[in-house]
Amino acid sequence: MRTLVKEMVEQYDRPTVVDMEAGLEHLSRGTIRYVDCTLIIIEPYFKSMETGARLNKLARELEIKHVYCVANKVRGKDDEQALEDFCAKRNMSLLAMIPNDDSMIAADRAGLAPLDFNADGVAVKAISQLAQKVMSLESIQKQ
Amino acid sequence: MKIAVAGKGGSGKTTISGTLARILAREIRHDLVAIDGDSNPNLANTLGLPREKMSKIAPMPRSVIKRVTGDDGKARLVLAMSPDEIINEYGVNTPDGIKLLLMAGIDHAGAG
Repeated sequence: MRTLVKEMVEQYDRPTVVDMEAGLEHLSRGTIRYVDCTLIIIEPYFKSMETGARLNKLARELEIKHVYCVANKVRGKDDEQALEDFCAKRNMSLLAMIPNDDSMIAADRAGLAPLDFNADGVAVKAISQLAQKVMSLESIQKQ
Repeated sequence: MKIAVAGKGGSGKTTISGTLARILAREIRHDLVAIDGDSNPNLANTLGLPREKMSKIAPMPRSVIKRVTGDDGKARLVLAMSPDEIINEYGVNTPDGIKLLLMAGIDHAGAG
């Protein structure tokens, strides 16, 4: 499976989004070394941020051009501060913070994509802003 | 524009990947491919594929990759078809023109 992901990412020359296996394996084995951008999803608690730090280090070792963290399920200022403090210490670049949003759970329960369930939800809007930031990353628009 | 989304299980990685893919597809307005690289695949529903269709997606057969032996005598795995062929053959249509490729199951395809 890793070979398939790696070969597709390397050879297919059009816009691609890869939802990776949870954990470290794809990164430690370089499966996705040919992507332009890696987004590392972290939550505002220690185990998640620590996992993010490991993924961040692996992605940077692969010399992927853009390596960013995206904080998810963020509830308020304390969470934001904890994330900012952690990332500052561990050479992690935070690109976006997605607020905690119960409509994501409701969408899942309804069996719908969040975008189809409620396009105006706070999380969806934050992901929309994330999309804008990703598109404006240097050289990512070359295709 | 090739983006990989990584993270701990339960972090919301799949929800963000799927939603991000949909939004990007609308912005760039040409073919975007979403790859579910998780052996426990959940991306289809967050892309907007109805649940009842998810269980009907056939896993990719082992024949899409093949083993070749290089001049150095080392065996490696490579694609047996071009990426475009793979997408045409096995890509699942999801909203906003996204083609979804499901990687799970290929390690066991053909077993037994």
